[in-house]
Amino acid sequence: MAQIEAVRVVQDAAYAASLSDQDWYALAQDPTWQEMVSEQSEMVAGVIAQYGNKLPGGGQNSAPAELPVFRPFQVIGTDIARIQGYGIVTNTGTYTENLRMAGMLFMRTLRSRYPHAKITSIDTSEAEKIPGVRKILHRGNLPEEYKDVFLGSALPTRFLFNEEVFEVGAPIAVIAADSEHIGDVAIRAIKVQYEVLPAALDMLEAMKSSTPKQFTSNLDGTTIAVTAPLVRGDPTSAKADVVVDNVARKSTEQHVALELTNSLSYWDGDKLNMTYTNQHGHGTRSGLSQALKIPQNKVRVLQTGYLGSGYGYRSGIDLSEVHAAILSKLTGRPIKNNYTRYEDFVTRTHRPEFRNEMKLGVNRDGTISFGIFKVIANVGAQRAGAANGAWVNMQNLYKIPNLRLEAVDVMTNSYKSGPYRCVSHPNGTFALETTMDKAAYAINMDPIEFRLKNLNEVGNPDTKRPFSNIGIRDCITGVQTAINWKNVWHAPKAKQVRPGVYHGVGMAAHLCSHGAGSNPSTGQVIINSDGSVQAVSGTTDIGSGQRTNMLMIAAEALGVPLSTITITPYIDTDNTTDTGGTNGSRMTNTGGRGMYEAGVDARNQVLKYGADKFNSDFANAKADTRVTAADLDMGPDGIVFIKNDPKKTLNLAAIVQFKATSIIGKSDYLWPTTWEQVAVAAHAAEVEVDTVTGTVKITRYVAAHDVGKAMNPFSVRQQVEGGVVMATGAVLTEELLIDKATGLPLNPNLLDYRPLSIKDAPLAEVVIVEKPKAYGTFGGHGLGEPPMGPPAPTIVNAVYNAVGVWVTEMPLTRDKLLAALKASN
Amino acid sequence: MRGFELYDATTVKEAVDLLGKYSGRTVKVVGGGSDIVGGVMKDWVQGKGMPLPEVLIDITTIKDIVGIKTDGGGTTIGAATTLSDIIDNKDLVSKLPVLTNAALSVASPLIRNFGTLGGNINQRPRCWFFRGEDFNCYKKGGDFCYAVTGDNRYHAIIGGELCYIVHPSDTSTALLALNASAKIAGTGGERTVAFDDYFTGPRVDVLRENVLKPNEFMTHVTIPNPASGTKFGWTKLKDRQVYDFALISVAAVFTVSGGNWQDGRITVGGVSPVPYRAKVVEDFLKGKDIKATAKQAAAQIRTVARPMSLNSYKVDLAQGLIERTILDALG
Repeated sequence: MAQIEAVRVVQDAAYAASLSDQDWYALAQDPTWQEMVSEQSEMVAGVIAQYGNKLPGGGQNSAPAELPVFRPFQVIGTDIARIQGYGIVTNTGTYTENLRMAGMLFMRTLRSRYPHAKITSIDTSEAEKIPGVRKILHRGNLPEEYKDVFLGSALPTRFLFNEEVFEVGAPIAVIAADSEHIGDVAIRAIKVQYEVLPAALDMLEAMKSSTPKQFTSNLDGTTIAVTAPLVRGDPTSAKADVVVDNVARKSTEQHVALELTNSLSYWDGDKLNMTYTNQHGHGTRSGLSQALKIPQNKVRVLQTGYLGSGYGYRSGIDLSEVHAAILSKLTGRPIKNNYTRYEDFVTRTHRPEFRNEMKLGVNRDGTISFGIFKVIANVGAQRAGAANGAWVNMQNLYKIPNLRLEAVDVMTNSYKSGPYRCVSHPNGTFALETTMDKAAYAINMDPIEFRLKNLNEVGNPDTKRPFSNIGIRDCITGVQTAINWKNVWHAPKAKQVRPGVYHGVGMAAHLCSHGAGSNPSTGQVIINSDGSVQAVSGTTDIGSGQRTNMLMIAAEALGVPLSTITITPYIDTDNTTDTGGTNGSRMTNTGGRGMYEAGVDARNQVLKYGADKFNSDFANAKADTRVTAADLDMGPDGIVFIKNDPKKTLNLAAIVQFKATSIIGKSDYLWPTTWEQVAVAAHAAEVEVDTVTGTVKITRYVAAHDVGKAMNPFSVRQQVEGGVVMATGAVLTEELLIDKATGLPLNPNLLDYRPLSIKDAPLAEVVIVEKPKAYGTFGGHGLGEPPMGPPAPTIVNAVYNAVGVWVTEMPLTRDKLLAALKASN
Repeated sequence: MRGFELYDATTVKEAVDLLGKYSGRTVKVVGGGSDIVGGVMKDWVQGKGMPLPEVLIDITTIKDIVGIKTDGGGTTIGAATTLSDIIDNKDLVSKLPVLTNAALSVASPLIRNFGTLGGNINQRPRCWFFRGEDFNCYKKGGDFCYAVTGDNRYHAIIGGELCYIVHPSDTSTALLALNASAKIAGTGGERTVAFDDYFTGPRVDVLRENVLKPNEFMTHVTIPNPASGTKFGWTKLKDRQVYDFALISVAAVFTVSGGNWQDGRITVGGVSPVPYRAKVVEDFLKGKDIKATAKQAAAQIRTVARPMSLNSYKVDLAQGLIERTILDALG
């Protein structure tokens, strides 16, 4: 099967048009494509609209599903602790980093220190002499069969070892050694000669025609893609009473997952086994299968279910995992590959730098006339897309009759973009919601009233796909009440609380396409001969409780007490089916729908075989009574009974023993494409801004999210609290910097990158809004990423309310704030 | 990390002997190790003028240099005393709150439990070019300062030349305000150096930040008893509240007579390659009503500040915090 360049399919129309039916099938299996479908649905929407009938399952367009009427919930809606809780708090859980095997070697990687260069020679002779060095692999001795292997999409191409490297941190050689310390010394003993080439380090510079090209392209400089604009109405000639301009910028962020990326690989004959910190076991398997040119059933991927987080950058493999697999094959030894914190910071993906140029025309009566919004994203040293992902809320959140959306993605020799608890939606919310506040203040209107007046609660205005029971109004009024908006909101710079310290309050609304369900929603529910139940799902748990959710949904759908059903924390691709990656906040609906369907299927079989068992008992007793499945029901205790004779009961063990083989419920569900499945939220915050130090202190934070139905309210609150903490880091301190002269990273460590400490982080008060969705599993909608959206505009808007200056460049550091204050005086 | 040899010394003499014995190799004393091991060695911070240590001598095993003694003559603190022990010492909290508050503002409880006073004073600077393995800067024996044209938002605003680091130690800023002295042991014998003379700027020797020679280490810090009624102030501004170095720190130690400045010191951290004594501010206050003059006095810091391209905001911060710290101390 040919390797399809997934990103190029959506950015290069000629390439998409050249694909054969076989290529489209291959694309549907491609982990990068699958990740884009769930994480960046805006990006793939055009291709799916045009070529959907060529994609397996992509042409589904059944009638809107109605939310099924269900029994009273027994499990759903209760606070349930994580199945891994004990292992997490005692560190007895199976974290990949803790795994060891006899005979194991350690991998270390020599990486480029130039952002753009040609490797002219590699001399490993000194390194080879170091005792304990077992194997050194580089482009000079890479086995022939792997020379054409690459990850991602061209151009520029990321081969296993590039001759031309496009980023600091690109791999040049890998070493297998007896210890990491030997490896550390050995990589520094390799002599590399570089021919340094001109690098594009600044996004706006890189877009210029004068910037040297680094790959074949018709676009200026190193521009990767200019998305066809979305135009609604007549934005260029529309008039408005007031026109608000807003340039909103944000810097590069990294996830800072607590557990560093790592893997343990070994070969059992011709089969690769890899335990790896990932968010998509089956996607990892597909990636390794493609890269190593072996069938999927010759690759076994384990994800232990104990993961120091994922946040999107662990959906699939990176070059290091392929290197580790090859080193293991060549040495015949298990390979442990622990990334360093530097490598996790620099060589993996990031939420990219964005620049948004926003123009909003509003009338004094509070209506919006037009919006012209341009988003530019710095996708780093690769072909990727991020800019038009920021369109989703600009397109859907408010009624904007005349709209023009533009998007440009720019390649630079810098940090690569990718999902970070979403890729682009938080940026879109930051840009739109600071613009909305500017407009509200410009027409002297309460920012909440202004938003409520303009909400779009119908559906996507362009595709006409409807929302299902959208809760955006409830979210906004929810935070309005919770923060006591009517009493705490005031005119800008109107409330000094101490000398030089001002109080402010701000809010923001949010809409994004995450939390939706999408194919493949598979799963199995097995009832054993003793009546105990096993839920089987390929859903990878990345630390936020996905598999606890799977367990709860399976228990509810089957209708048995939680105490009688189990699920493993881990997944093993050898005995599970794909449920897609744990990305796009979609597991409640994607993996969850698999559990739901399998549970319902198992329940139907229970009633069917229960009827057979009753009838067999009746026949043995020479009674004439006969029943069908429709005559039976199962109580919340998992006991089957005859509805009009409830004293006649059977337990699950009796039914399975009668059937003689296990009951296996399964799911073959395919998702309808009728709905515009969106997550919505609103946040509000009170702050105190010190005009002497530029310190912004968040004194109160409230967050409302419409989750359709809260499966596990405990887990919902944790997701929102954690999301707010994480997002606030990027608002106040976090940005991954490079030295503009050398392109080298400046702060790829926990000290200088400054993620918030426990003393800095706000604790959000969570308002759970439940407006059940017709498409949702038990009416639910996913939640992982949406809390990342509103904090930036909420805090920026609150700071404006406090001190009367706009700082729309994240992070909102004290130097920027003090400069803005100085400029305003 | 590269492998190294580790020796435990049980007496100052033993440590000095070990320094002499391994003087042909790169040898360093180690306290808690959070900087030299967890920072410098782990991150391969090395260069022609800064080879990685091959031998470490643990001095936390020397009983004589662990502990706090206070008497009529003053206070003596062993260099291997942990910051947590300083924070928890009730005598110090009441007698020298500027020191205990400075110690409390360091890093995190975990680091303070291991980190020693000597280690805090003698740690290497945090400049991100110096700490970056691929930046071969002056301080590592290279021939360039990347901060001059690079991202210098955290760099020196006073007294930088050649190299623009800021001194990273909070306790040093407080101890300089307290007019402390350092006791030093080495193969050449023992000596005492006042903190006024202990720290050295890049023009003296860009490869080090103090007067310690390779065969010497700090054994004790002595602090004279402050006059009764002395006012103490400590402020540390940092971008996050746990585990961060000072963007600006200010220590104020002074005596007052009828609301007027009598005598004392104002020292500032995070602004200069050495803990900086703001004599311009002290001189301006001399004999004047503090409340009425603090604002103007703090503004004197502008006369000595030479900010770089991205850090002029630190001058404003220093000015604002000097004023606040003086007024807070005054009460």
